[in-house]
Amino acid sequence: MKKKEKKKMGMRAKTLLGQSVLNFILFLLAAVMIVPFIYIVMVSFTDATVYEAGKFILWPEKWSLDAYEYVLTGSGFLDALRSTLFITLIGTPLSVIFNAGLGYMLSKNTLPGRNILNKLVMFTMLFGAGMIPGYINMSNLGLINSLWACILPGACSAWNVMVMKSFFQGLPAELEEAAEIDGCGTLRIFTRIVLPLSKAMLATFTLFGAVSYWNTYFSAVMYITKTAMLPLQVFLQKIVLASNISDVLDVASNLSTAVPEEITKMATVVVAVVPILCVYPFLQKHFAKGVMVGAVKG
Amino acid sequence: MSKVKSGGEAAVSKKTLGQRVYAHRWFYFLGVPGMIILVMFSYLPMRGLLMAFQEFDPHLGILGSRWVGLKHFEKLFSDPKFYLMLKNTLIISGLSLLTFPAPIILALLLNEVRCQKYKKSIQTAVYLPHFISWPIIASLTFLLLSKEQGAVNKLIMEMGGDAHAFLFDTGWTYPIIVLQSVWKGIGWGSIVYLAAITGIDQEMYEAARIDGANKIQQMIKITIPCIMPTVVVMLVLKMGSIISVDFEQILLVSNAMNRSQTEVFELFIYNYGIASGSTQYSYTTAVGMFKSVVNTFLVVLTNWLVTRKGYDGVF
Repeated sequence: MKKKEKKKMGMRAKTLLGQSVLNFILFLLAAVMIVPFIYIVMVSFTDATVYEAGKFILWPEKWSLDAYEYVLTGSGFLDALRSTLFITLIGTPLSVIFNAGLGYMLSKNTLPGRNILNKLVMFTMLFGAGMIPGYINMSNLGLINSLWACILPGACSAWNVMVMKSFFQGLPAELEEAAEIDGCGTLRIFTRIVLPLSKAMLATFTLFGAVSYWNTYFSAVMYITKTAMLPLQVFLQKIVLASNISDVLDVASNLSTAVPEEITKMATVVVAVVPILCVYPFLQKHFAKGVMVGAVKG
Repeated sequence: MSKVKSGGEAAVSKKTLGQRVYAHRWFYFLGVPGMIILVMFSYLPMRGLLMAFQEFDPHLGILGSRWVGLKHFEKLFSDPKFYLMLKNTLIISGLSLLTFPAPIILALLLNEVRCQKYKKSIQTAVYLPHFISWPIIASLTFLLLSKEQGAVNKLIMEMGGDAHAFLFDTGWTYPIIVLQSVWKGIGWGSIVYLAAITGIDQEMYEAARIDGANKIQQMIKITIPCIMPTVVVMLVLKMGSIISVDFEQILLVSNAMNRSQTEVFELFIYNYGIASGSTQYSYTTAVGMFKSVVNTFLVVLTNWLVTRKGYDGVF
């Protein structure tokens, strides 16, 4: 009896130890993900007077918003922000509407030509023409140096269409049939019945779309040569690698000599990443579902 | 019931194709914008592949340029750069294949956490990097590892060591690429395995507990075998993309010093087709076409393997 109790106690201690070790390992991993952000935020708020090149900062001795003022008032930043906002605000709704529309069309199994259209969509996942033909095509379409070159190619993606298609197919068919008998047209059924039932899925795609448009980088590097039109991600990259930041920022402020280069770089990264951090909690609520749909069946 | 249904179908098939198309007109209306996008940006560029068989001159266009047959492909296969690009691509993909178990291990660890709130917070932290763009990751890498401004070097110097130019040290190029990929992808990659673990029948664990199996034994004998189908599918699919690297990442890691490590197909195409202004359109198109064809072949092959094994493929 006593022995058994002792054994039980030992087991409990063992699990407790196991749990602590496990929790500690996971804590370290989470720290690796978060600490870089904390570090740049801390440095970006450091006042120039307490800054010393080569000194490691984890907590600013004196706080200052100078770097942010410097970055945010430069016309370089405002131009970049304008481009990124245009791309994100136009691109996100377009991509959701286009993907949902095509997904809904392909979900209708009485549709004439459905198989061929399905294969046409799938094939774009399988084979791409490549960078140079894409570039020549873009220039034939007259979209070089247009922000639409960063929006339109991403406005319909086969993968998203397929996920939405299988989602629509999973909706109860009776509802649509009932509405049809009541004399509802296709468009009415789509906007009044199908879309409201798909709210969670649409929210997921809206957030994912917004993040991917906000993160636009390579398409801008490829198709946009005018400096004033480059989006935020390209601007950020230029700032971080620039030897003379004030040229890229294009700012006439007297802060240009007052704020150390490093702090300016940190502030720019923070500005570019904050919107993502703001939508992230909402994203997290939805994305488990979105990923599941995609992972289970394309 | 079924009689009524088949009767209905017969009635449908009696209609002419034109009538059926007309009946579905609003479905086509909803699908057309997406189709136009795919045609414009996926199918139209494909005629540009003809450039690979030409001496393409932008002024003459695809129809007017001189045809040269397989000249560019012959040049490609005799170009020592081709073998360098192939080698680098395979090294980078091979290294990413080595990190394949990382998300699986993370999922197994997360599954063992008792406190649900703690588990949720850890998940919040590890999924975050998936949404961070490559330019930001490259900036973070610079701000952590650069010789003068990098936090790591500052710590090394405060501890009395010498600063090291990690970003320009070719020995650190691949470790940096791997670290970046794992940092960005480990949490996100674990979701699919966590889902597979959630689907395991709990009665098996109960039976094992009654038989006296401890947590480690349960993991090895129940959890891992049960998620094996998912692991196989993910592994096979990963093999299918062995010729592709994440180009934004490589472009941002590459610099003048590490070119011999980071020169991959896309980087070469970008540098010689667009960035340099030398406009070797035909040759770079041929390079890209080689890559696309091999990639498609591998994806189809691996997908076939997955479905043959009885799992759901992607296509």
